Amino acid sequence: MSSIISVKDLTKTYKKVDAVKGINFEVEEGEIFGFLGPNGAGKSTTINMICTMLKPTSGSIVINGYDVKKSKDKVRGSIGIIFQENTLDEKLTAYENLMLHCRFYQVPKSERDERIQEVLEIVDLIDEQKQRVETFSGGMKRRLEIARGLLHYPRVLFLDEPTVGLDPQTRAHLWEYILKLKEKKGITMFLTTHYLDEAEISDRVAIMDQGNIIAIDSPKALKDQLGGDIIELSTEDNDQALKEISEKVKEAEVTVNDDIIHLKVASSDAFISSFIKTLDIPITSLNIRKPTLNDVFLAFTGRKIGQTSE
Amino acid sequence: MEGIIAIWQRDLMKFFRDRARLFGSFTMPILFLLIFGGGMSGTMEAMMTGSMPGEADRFNYVEFVFPGIVAMTLLMTSVFSAMSVIEDKDFGYMKEILVSPISRVSIAVGKMLGAASVATIQGVLLFILIPLLGLSYNLKALVQVIPFMFLLACALSGLGLLFASLIRSTQGFQLTVQILVMPMIFLSGALFPVSNMPAWMDVIVKINPVTYGVDIMKKVMIDTENLSATVLDAMGLNITLFGRQITIFEEMLFIIIFTIVLVLLATVSFKRANA
Ligand SMILES: Nc1ncnc2c1ncn2[C@@H]1O[C@H](COP(=O)(O)OP(=O)(O)O)[C@@H](O)[C@H]1O
Ligand SMILES: [Mg+2]
Repeated sequence: MSSIISVKDLTKTYKKVDAVKGINFEVEEGEIFGFLGPNGAGKSTTINMICTMLKPTSGSIVINGYDVKKSKDKVRGSIGIIFQENTLDEKLTAYENLMLHCRFYQVPKSERDERIQEVLEIVDLIDEQKQRVETFSGGMKRRLEIARGLLHYPRVLFLDEPTVGLDPQTRAHLWEYILKLKEKKGITMFLTTHYLDEAEISDRVAIMDQGNIIAIDSPKALKDQLGGDIIELSTEDNDQALKEISEKVKEAEVTVNDDIIHLKVASSDAFISSFIKTLDIPITSLNIRKPTLNDVFLAFTGRKIGQTSE
Repeated sequence: MEGIIAIWQRDLMKFFRDRARLFGSFTMPILFLLIFGGGMSGTMEAMMTGSMPGEADRFNYVEFVFPGIVAMTLLMTSVFSAMSVIEDKDFGYMKEILVSPISRVSIAVGKMLGAASVATIQGVLLFILIPLLGLSYNLKALVQVIPFMFLLACALSGLGLLFASLIRSTQGFQLTVQILVMPMIFLSGALFPVSNMPAWMDVIVKINPVTYGVDIMKKVMIDTENLSATVLDAMGLNITLFGRQITIFEEMLFIIIFTIVLVLLATVSFKRANA
């Protein structure tokens, strides 16, 4: 496989903040590449630099064979982007927004109408195309932006927090559209999110924190890397329980988060029955699960992903 | 090229949908027409023709000031329409434009043409008032003046665009524009002649594109050929530059160069706004 995006030693320093601190990664053609990280990690800054909207402080970016510094227009023609914030013209209708986009990107005149109907079909907005965008719900606007981003058949579609601010049901729905798109078009997708479940659909995930990429791999590999199972435990007296655990239990890694004791063990089946007997403090709740990306983040940073905000 | 037209048409389309703005922008010129055209016309005529008793009845101040007020409308609408750049930034649409492969100079030109067209339409709509003011301009002259109005509007939109690309907030923009617009009107000869100004003011008069735009408009609209040199002088229609009387062609050239320079400056400022 060949890489369609290649980023080397990329940094961005705003006046005071080092938002991106020298990151390296490649995105392969046809994959869904996810950027996972808490708010303020530097995801949007990175995406905006890749999309020519922000000048890097240093480093190089190549997309589709074009250097972002030297051939901005070529890069711009090869990508589609759904920004974190709304960029539709709400006073115009959905159709008018799409038609303007065709003209900005010089989509051949004879194909415009057909393509507009095609993308509207994908996001299920055929019947609403004559309505002004200001009458749309948040989810509809998002879908329309995705449709618009596809009109010029970009090689890579960027989605910066595409579901932020939407209710859970709409979020789930929107992902269905995005996956459908991936199936239909085989387009390369680069998405950012701070929702863990959303990162799971990526072929590969880069975990970002405070301007650095701290891990890149498939979600499965990242979780396997942690290995074993996670046991979440709360007791009537966690301090006492921790003391006991540190004395008696040697085979588990122990962390505490939000008053819940996390034990990471190679295999919960063998561990749990003997463990419950060794503990004298009454257990109030117990949960055994496979590691999630949140555990991966926790393992690398010592924090949960949601803790910086929300 | 298609990008320019698309940006241009979008602004025009939005203008026609926004009726409140359409009518709102008429209040100022009508107010000025009432004050200068109605209330003050006698005083102004007396002042301007004081030195030439015999000519007084051949001079009509309202006829003189009407093109000036049209030019004022062009100035205000051009500059305020350029504010759409700030609105587009606020509502996020500017990102959709900037991330597309349209060249930055096309974006500036498209925005400039949009604002200039809106201003020209507003200016032409003022022609409706001509019969109400008891004026009668030659119909052919009225048609002929429209391209010149558009040219002036382009220069002023370029100016508005530059400010809009430099200023972040709409409030800041409105404040700047208000400070800018009044001197540009008063020091242009639109409302009264500016022939005998102190030297430093004369410099402003001569670099002000409105001066030349208004002068062309008056020369086209008012039947200047049948007026004596003294009346022309009273109207301030004999602009001299470096001691030589300036021709319509030179005035056009000045406006065109002014437009190009400002659009290029705005382009640079668009480029710096992002990568
Ligand atoms: N225009 C800006 N000026 C100054 N600092 C900024 C700007 N944009 C973002 N930052 C800072 O850079 C860091 C990364 O922000 P961002 O890329 O938006 O993160 P994310 O998209 O991961 O939430 C944050 O600390 C943020 O405050
Ligand atoms: Mg962000």
